[in-house]
Amino acid sequence: MSEKKYWKGLEELYNTPSYQKTVRNEFPEKLPFGEEVDKLMQAKTPRRDFLKYLGFSITAATIAASCEIQVRKVIPYVNKPVDITPGVPNYYASTYVQDGDYCPVVVKTRDGRPIKIEGNTSSSITKGGTSAVVQASVLSLYDTARLRYPMIQGKEATWEELDKAVVEGLRNLGGLPIVLLTSTLMSPATEQLIQEFAAKYPNTKHVTYDAISYSGLLLANEACYGKRAIPSYHFENAQAIVGLGADFLGTWLSPVEFANQYAQTRKIKGKKANISRHIQFESYLSLTGANADYRYTHRPSQLPAIVLNLYNAVALALGKPALPNVPTLQDDQLQKGIQRAAKLLAAHPGQALVVCGSNDPRIQIVVNGLNEMLGAAGKTIDWNAPVNYRKGIDSDMQQLVADMEAGKIGALLIYGANPAYDYYDAARFAEALKKVKLTLSFNDHHDETTVLCQYVAPDNHYLESWGDAEPKAGYYSFIQPTIFPLFKTRAFQESLLSFMGETPDWHAYLMKYWEPKLGGLVSWEEALQNGVIEPKQVTLAGLPFKGDVQAAATQLAAEKPQSGELELVLYEKVAIRNGRPANNPWLQEMPDPISKCTWDNYICVSPALAWKLGISINRFNENDLNRPVAKLTAAGKEITLPVLVLPGMPQDVVAVAVGYGRSQDVGKAAGGVGKNVYPWAYFNNTTQTFHYYQPAVTLTLTGETYPLAITQTHNSFEGRPIILETTQQQYNQDPGEATREQREERERYGGDQYATEGTLYPNLYDFPGLKWGMSIDLNSCIGCGACTIACQAENNVAVVGKDQVLAHHEMHWIRIDRYFSGDPENPQVVFQPMLCQQCDNAPCENVCPVAATTHSDEGLNQMIYNRCIGTRYCMNNCPYKVRRFNWRDWQGATSFGQIKDTGDMNSDLTRMVLNPDVTVRTRGVMEKCSFCVQRLQDAKLAAKKAGRPLMDGEAVTACQQACPTQAIVFGNVHDSGAAISQVRAENKETRLYYVLDDLHTLPNVNYLVKVVNKDPNDFYVEPVQHVLGK
Amino acid sequence: MLHYESAVREPLINGTKDYHQVTEDIISPIEKKPGKLWWIALGFSLTMLLFGVWSVFWEVYFGIGVWGENRTVGWAWDITNFVWWVGIGHAGTLISAILLLFRQGWRTGVNRAAEAMTIFAVLCAGQFPVWHMGRVWLAFFILPYPNSRGPLWVNFNSPLLWDVFAVSTYLTVSILFWYSGLIPDVATLRDRAKKKFAKFFYGLCSFGWRGTAKEWQRLESLGLLLAGLSTPLVLSVHSVVSMDFATSVIPGWHETIFPPYFVAGAIFSGFAMVQTLLIITRKILHLEDYVTLGHIEAMNKIIMLTGGIVAMAYITELFIAWYSNVVYEQGAFWWRILGPYWWAYIILITCNVASPQLFWFKKLRRNIPFTFFMSIVVNIGMWFERFVIIVLSLYHDYMPSAWVYYSPRWPELGFYIGTFGLFFTCYLLFAKYFPVIAVWEIRSVLKTSGESYKQKMAALEQQTTEEFIQEVQHQHALTAH
Repeated sequence: MSEKKYWKGLEELYNTPSYQKTVRNEFPEKLPFGEEVDKLMQAKTPRRDFLKYLGFSITAATIAASCEIQVRKVIPYVNKPVDITPGVPNYYASTYVQDGDYCPVVVKTRDGRPIKIEGNTSSSITKGGTSAVVQASVLSLYDTARLRYPMIQGKEATWEELDKAVVEGLRNLGGLPIVLLTSTLMSPATEQLIQEFAAKYPNTKHVTYDAISYSGLLLANEACYGKRAIPSYHFENAQAIVGLGADFLGTWLSPVEFANQYAQTRKIKGKKANISRHIQFESYLSLTGANADYRYTHRPSQLPAIVLNLYNAVALALGKPALPNVPTLQDDQLQKGIQRAAKLLAAHPGQALVVCGSNDPRIQIVVNGLNEMLGAAGKTIDWNAPVNYRKGIDSDMQQLVADMEAGKIGALLIYGANPAYDYYDAARFAEALKKVKLTLSFNDHHDETTVLCQYVAPDNHYLESWGDAEPKAGYYSFIQPTIFPLFKTRAFQESLLSFMGETPDWHAYLMKYWEPKLGGLVSWEEALQNGVIEPKQVTLAGLPFKGDVQAAATQLAAEKPQSGELELVLYEKVAIRNGRPANNPWLQEMPDPISKCTWDNYICVSPALAWKLGISINRFNENDLNRPVAKLTAAGKEITLPVLVLPGMPQDVVAVAVGYGRSQDVGKAAGGVGKNVYPWAYFNNTTQTFHYYQPAVTLTLTGETYPLAITQTHNSFEGRPIILETTQQQYNQDPGEATREQREERERYGGDQYATEGTLYPNLYDFPGLKWGMSIDLNSCIGCGACTIACQAENNVAVVGKDQVLAHHEMHWIRIDRYFSGDPENPQVVFQPMLCQQCDNAPCENVCPVAATTHSDEGLNQMIYNRCIGTRYCMNNCPYKVRRFNWRDWQGATSFGQIKDTGDMNSDLTRMVLNPDVTVRTRGVMEKCSFCVQRLQDAKLAAKKAGRPLMDGEAVTACQQACPTQAIVFGNVHDSGAAISQVRAENKETRLYYVLDDLHTLPNVNYLVKVVNKDPNDFYVEPVQHVLGK
Repeated sequence: MLHYESAVREPLINGTKDYHQVTEDIISPIEKKPGKLWWIALGFSLTMLLFGVWSVFWEVYFGIGVWGENRTVGWAWDITNFVWWVGIGHAGTLISAILLLFRQGWRTGVNRAAEAMTIFAVLCAGQFPVWHMGRVWLAFFILPYPNSRGPLWVNFNSPLLWDVFAVSTYLTVSILFWYSGLIPDVATLRDRAKKKFAKFFYGLCSFGWRGTAKEWQRLESLGLLLAGLSTPLVLSVHSVVSMDFATSVIPGWHETIFPPYFVAGAIFSGFAMVQTLLIITRKILHLEDYVTLGHIEAMNKIIMLTGGIVAMAYITELFIAWYSNVVYEQGAFWWRILGPYWWAYIILITCNVASPQLFWFKKLRRNIPFTFFMSIVVNIGMWFERFVIIVLSLYHDYMPSAWVYYSPRWPELGFYIGTFGLFFTCYLLFAKYFPVIAVWEIRSVLKTSGESYKQKMAALEQQTTEEFIQEVQHQHALTAH
């Protein structure tokens, strides 16, 4: 090994003295410790002490700080509950039953709490449709005003105490009868239980009382067919539909079912349309009337004459014997309407259906005769499956009140009914109630009747209950609990069992009832899983008709109807119905389909009557929501309510909705909203039924104004290509006529290449995989608003309250635009669901300064809430005006804590309804329809886990699911087999259009032209200007 | 001789003045104790400002929902006021930049006040886009700053973002321009100051200005450079602001004429505001000799001209709405004129189109009370122009189902009042502690356009052209030595 010398530098090589010095010195520079080092060493507080102090103060601070912090425990499951995976929803079939309203549902639960109601598609009755009321029912589960425990004399008690006291009371009635007063029940097991109860307490009677009675129909059917029942109606088999004051799409009997059937007759496939024709006679503008092809208005007192004349006109056309002494109608329009209806009906024997909303049995007998004459039995009317929707007989109620007054009733057990509010003479009922020895309410709210009762045994919410239902003979439906009872409530049936001295186990009772019938536990579980059991073979049949039409007609003709200058009709609103769901903020804030008013009831008057009163709603003041107040006087009672001028009201009729004016005890949302007009219903001694109109009222303006929270004040679409509609005749002559202009416009700019050719900026997005699209059929949409509430439930859409609706701050992601056209006294009505159009060339996207709204590669226009700073530029630039801004802190999502709470929507309890998959938006950010992106992600994930592509129908938006008429089709437009692609392909040259297409926003929502079955001459009506233009 | 200016031209400085007198006239009010009127005015302005702060606090605390804006009208008073204030600022820049480049001597009397007005107006304007945000605490999202959120950037397509750049650039350049012009005068103040604090304060503010030739040369170069920079800004800022509307799809907003239309409107309202301020200032500070009737008339002429341009724009809008045959456009204008807000349009036409026509009369142009009245009328008109464009386009746009009315609520009014408070507080403090007229610039035109000097020039005009030329050449030769 050679001694080779390696050197790093010349210094090392020559080994200079300075180098030696450097090597010797480990730290070549002076260390940066100056005199401080010395000072530190001599400090009075040496390092050790310093460390002690430091340690002490940190520990002390830590302890002090930690005392303040609230300990929140996150407890993992020790044993995971069966079927509950955090973050994964479970679905349970159940049934919504309320006062005889029926809807089979599927309940979505997340982490053990129900958050959304969906329609049950296994049901042939509703076919998966729902209504706004059904959609909103999940919110009433979390209603803070629900009763939470049993009460004796208004004080909290235990169930044992209550049972003991009640049983003792029931045993010591001194022979006086026990009356069980309920609204319509359709549960076979409950009815058996009631019978058993009656066996235990032999002096028990069951009285059914319906707030809105169908006694007239029941009694007429008893007289005609020997059955006190209501048949199934089959609108889907009808080509000619005549409604006589029956709002069968909105509120009459079973609107979800009828809407579905009706829509089937209105769907258009291909280039030849053959839709039903629907003529409606009515005294106010109902949802059904708004959808009718022809609509005629009349005073309520004219109904008998209309029915008789219609009967005779049909009889004449069919060569059947006519009725004698039929009063003539003085009204030309009505005459014309009757002729038209008669011609229509006579032309469709076996395909015709007449339904009548009157509660006068004689009128219903004539209608039955009419239907028989038209061969409706077994075709559009089915007596094989009579329905159990309404059973109340009004005279029973009258008798009961009389007996109570006379002190002849020992105990009154009230379940579901609320006569102290909705009975026409509520004061009399309340007085009579005092004479009953034992009074008990099973109702779940402190409603007007419950507060008067000695005992309160609150029932569970239906989502906490077991139960069954028999909506129609042979059709069964089951209710299973989706959550353990939130409060100390108990099923009505368990209370009865307890009073009987039996084990209060309603579930066991129900199983015992059903298992043998179904053939074992497996079948029972299967039935629960499906939710419904239906007959396999359905045959429609009539019953032998033995009604005396002649006698009824003679009676009607002989009666000279009383009629003043102005008549009053009471009606049910689609959202609030008979008043039962009044404490539901979602429903209170749902714009009425017709008036678009929220949070109130009001006097509906026609434009002509308003003109006479000196009210003019014109373009200058239509936006002014402070509406005049009027005093309505009838039958010795008066009430002041705001006046809402509504096109389509008859000139000599005013209409007011029932269901409002609930007491403050019912809850924050219902209390004090509107006024109660039930006192104007009355009991007619001749017909022995309740009537919901007053033949003579007077209306005087008080000179005051009252703000009405109306969401849409301009009623015309101004002929813009927002709504396209045509008549069936024109459609069949030239199916593409209505959309021709739009298609030609597209043709001019590239046809199928319109997206890129129709613009100077063709660099649009790529959509490599899925692309979502929606089609809305204006011919199917009836405007019921179920989608609005379904969306609200699904997407945590806030309730803002009346004052904020007045400020136009409502938040609905999908709204129903309602437009009138033609004669303001009797307009044509179009409904258009309007939601974010998910434009591929969205005006909102490019104006956001912070890119908080962007386009997804699936064609979705996305909102990034976290990024939004709330400049509202996107909202301004949205031509469809579908963006919603969080003007205030609606849901407590900001740290400022200035919550704008409405109806307790932000209580811990109510917030349990929130969907955890959807962000609760903070104030100051924009929001809008997302096409239910969380549902889309869910469906995609499921497909991915299954290792297959997404299939059509797996991704369903909330609005689409809720729609009773299947007006909404949604899916992946890149899948040529998908329903959405087919709809678009089928209608491409005919009914397909995009709203405001010429703006080149390239929406992903298309609409299908509305086709009305009207003669073109009647379709194009010039508005009568004199009425509106004061 | 070299200062010769035709006697036909009206003098810009009245009375017999010399340099010292100019300084005395303009500077001495600053050195006196503020008067009673000033204190009252300041108190009033501060009250307005505080009310504005309260209104904004209320809005931020409870949310934008306390305003009258709604689902259809997403912008109303906030952006109306923003555009209005920005517009007002324009006159200042126009005077200091464009008129400088055009060698308009009369600008010297009004430019300082106008520039100050620009800055204060832009400060006021800037409040609105900030506080109108739903989540103002995240306002910084609008700045393109590097962040830790991945490739998250602002949206450069959004005109609102262009606004941020346009307005902030404008404010920066305006402040530079205004302040650099102030320096020599502040130095004068420093030199005259007797109190210790004033000496210190003005000394600090004058950046050590000594008035050397080199400094003057640099100052003038800077002035020219900034004038060059500001000139495009006069046109660009309001053009960009107008693009907030012009690039949208809303009928009544989507108009290609908006940039020039807005710029003209801005100058129109800006000059009106200068008139309002100066008519008061000259009266209170007794500066009638420096802000003469000639100045006022010159500005009135500009008001007439720009008023004519906006009138033309209004007519064009209506014509195009008719001519385009677009139903939405026609609908928007139909509802603008004949809808429930018809009175706003009437006010707009009365104030902006009809009333400026009175300035065709020279007597009225030179009438101070009338000019003052008109300046208010024009600013009301211009406020309504923005209101009409913003609210009356939104309230009846494409979807008739969404049509609404809009009424302001108190926090919106309060916010607007508050910006007046801010504006006048700033202006009052400025007018009290800084010279409202540029002393050094007045000195620069004194010998050309001062009344007493002009009178001496009458003799020159008796000479023949040849004599005159010869004398001028002689004088030039003298100065060249």
